[in-house]
Amino acid sequence: MSQSTDLSWHQDAEENGSRPPLSLQDVHVSYRTRKGSVQAVRGVTLDLQAGESLALIGESGSGKTTLGLGIVRLLVETAQVSPGKIIYRRDGRELDVLSLAEGPLREFRWRDCAMVFQSALNAFNPVLKVWDQVWDTAKAHRWNNREEVRERFLDLLRFVQLDPDRVIDAYAHELSGGMRQRALLAISLLLDPQILILDEPTTALDILTQRTIIDLLRRLKEDLHFTMLFISHDLAIAAELADRVATMYAGQVVELGPVEDIFYRPRHPYSLGLIRAVPTVTGGFEELSSIPGSPPDLINLPTGCKFHPRCPFASERCSREEPALEKVGDNHYAACWHTDAVQEDIERNGLRGKRRA
Amino acid sequence: MTPIIELRNVTKHFGSGRDRVTAVDSISLDIEPGEIVCLVGESGCGKSTTGRMVVGLLPPSEGQILYQGQDIASMEKADYQQYRRAVQIIHQDPYASLNPTQTVRQMIVTPLLRHQTLGASRNGGGRRGRRRNVERRAAELLEIVDLTPVSDFLDKYPHQLSGGQRQRVSVARALTVEPRFIVADEAVSMVDVSIRVSLLNMLYRLKDEFDVTFLFITHDLALAKYFAWEGRITVMYLGRIVEEGPTPRLITDSRHPYTQALLGAVPEADPELAKKKVHIELRSAEIPSLLNLPTGCTFHPRCPYFVPGECDLVVPPLDLIPDGGSVACPVRMSEPGQIV
Ligand SMILES: Nc1ncnc2c1ncn2[C@@H]1O[C@H](COP(=O)(O)OP(=O)(O)OP(=O)(O)O)[C@@H](O)[C@H]1O
Ligand SMILES: Nc1ncnc2c1ncn2[C@@H]1O[C@H](COP(=O)(O)OP(=O)(O)OP(=O)(O)O)[C@@H](O)[C@H]1O
Ligand code: SF4
Ligand code: SF4
Ligand SMILES: [Mg+2]
Ligand SMILES: [Mg+2]
Repeated sequence: MSQSTDLSWHQDAEENGSRPPLSLQDVHVSYRTRKGSVQAVRGVTLDLQAGESLALIGESGSGKTTLGLGIVRLLVETAQVSPGKIIYRRDGRELDVLSLAEGPLREFRWRDCAMVFQSALNAFNPVLKVWDQVWDTAKAHRWNNREEVRERFLDLLRFVQLDPDRVIDAYAHELSGGMRQRALLAISLLLDPQILILDEPTTALDILTQRTIIDLLRRLKEDLHFTMLFISHDLAIAAELADRVATMYAGQVVELGPVEDIFYRPRHPYSLGLIRAVPTVTGGFEELSSIPGSPPDLINLPTGCKFHPRCPFASERCSREEPALEKVGDNHYAACWHTDAVQEDIERNGLRGKRRA
Repeated sequence: MTPIIELRNVTKHFGSGRDRVTAVDSISLDIEPGEIVCLVGESGCGKSTTGRMVVGLLPPSEGQILYQGQDIASMEKADYQQYRRAVQIIHQDPYASLNPTQTVRQMIVTPLLRHQTLGASRNGGGRRGRRRNVERRAAELLEIVDLTPVSDFLDKYPHQLSGGQRQRVSVARALTVEPRFIVADEAVSMVDVSIRVSLLNMLYRLKDEFDVTFLFITHDLALAKYFAWEGRITVMYLGRIVEEGPTPRLITDSRHPYTQALLGAVPEADPELAKKKVHIELRSAEIPSLLNLPTGCTFHPRCPYFVPGECDLVVPPLDLIPDGGSVACPVRMSEPGQIV
């Protein structure tokens, strides 16, 4: 991997088409605050494969949004991304995202890696009509053919199942939550990005609206083969849409694997804890249990494994030594000293508790 | 048994003239002592409005609300006060409902002292003795809601607590007046999944140990299923009850097309289940405005089983079904409704 300049693409001699479009290497993000440095993301290494959808799950404050914003370089000024490296690849070229200058960065954000934010309302400018925002975006990327842009956007609105004529001249506040989320998706697709990052794409939407968004995202995945990174605290979104799942705890990926492995054969106590804490709707009665304690203070992190104060499997070693991600199966990794004990526990007690009916 | 809470054709309008909306439209509901009843439905269907009427925070526009068989609108003052104490509400956002300038101790002790005064000089022992009793009771209440060791929490302010802990404080505060009935309005919706279950289990314990009856309001069907497995679920759509019944029946064999649509649509935290589920295709994704409600069955513009000339003319009555509960859809009420 060689140094790429912030101006142009790096031609990768070894390009063989199967290299992941996005690679995170030991990415750290911290926020400067009066109380000290908040270590929101601590050493995330992750490849996003072409055409896959990867879900990043974890509780509030685990660093999911920070990581997403870090990838598209939209973090606040008090945030510092270092050490770490973010490599983006397209058409045999490589880009060092963290060293991009303002101009190429803007291109990267729309043409390569678009992000749909956690709060769809805030992402819209309230005094502009939807079309004005689209047109501004297009012009900023030197796409000046008004008719062409409008045609493309109308098509996208149809794709996200919105009534194009009604939405294109509306203000954001005139749209319902689900319509706004879809309009935002349509805008993010305007410049045909290769990767979509979706932060809590269905949170705060009603059930039936959630379903239309999930079905829409599934079409993006299955029909158009978008490469997608979902960020959600909701396990169900991962179960519905992900090929692979990464569980985050205290700024780290503690387990990574195919969706079936994470849901049916988790090896990290935190992933198991989450699964045992979430009821299904139509799966009969499950006995649930919660994870004791609360997430750690990211300014004064615990020693050793960051999960040890809450972990039912913790041993003395856990409070001293921090485990790193290790292979536990095909494409399946977990950062835990006692993955065997987790496996035994599932074999003995079942994945979810005994069913009452 | 006399229901502890009974709603008889309760309606609530907001606004007037052309802006008048009917947020709750002639709903009836009996809740027996010790029962758990869940109210589910999408945003704006009238769940909170119903809850607020039950606790006396909002007067119904029409219909009656009875507490232990007595219409709250015509109660004697003393009875009304007793009802207001016996029926408490826990809100979604504990941060908004807790006074930021008070410590946990103050929040619990103050209502205890007031309650004791109201409850007439129960125990003599003078001022100091009463204070001591109250302190002891406060500690007990914090233990009941699992805020232990109690001494770690007594002197904390709300901003020093996590969301889950704040919600426990609001439950402890509600318990100061020894309620018989608690309306929990999205009470665990804002806390993280990892701690939700322990909050729910704590609430459930109140039912068993203190005979508290619950009206549990949530938009989350999975939570409703878990919390009310031995109780009942009531589904609301645009201010009306469309289906109601024992939880296992409602979850595994729902009859109203709207209930089926909801159950089919909820994302499941289980990949296999997510794939297996039947999704009901609606004719329209749009939720009608309360300002301009469809005629007849208000679900008819979206319902795949819509029968023209029938569904759009008469408001379907909520009819009993033999399998338990009732359904407001004459077209589908006898059809089996499994979605997995
Ligand atoms: N601008 C900021 N300044 C200081 N700390 C911040 C800032 N933004 C986020 N944090 C902290 O960084 C940590 C990670 O936050 P982040 O928003 O990435 O979490 P998340 O996993 O997306 O959570 P949620 O599920 O609540 O969206 C949290 O402890 C948060 O308080
Ligand atoms: N004080 C009020 N004045 C006017 N309209 C109101 C008032 N309170 C509620 N409404 C309206 O009544 C309807 C029902 O509201 P309600 O809060 O009961 O819904 P809900 O089912 O609790 O929804 P959510 O899931 O979003 O909490 C909504 O359309 C709401 O806008
Ligand atoms: S390393 Fe130890 S404390 Fe950490 S998750 Fe594994 S068992 Fe628990
Ligand atoms: S009454 Fe008609 S429109 Fe209403 S739910 Fe039943 S079938 Fe559908
Ligand atoms: Mg977030
Ligand atoms: Mg409400």
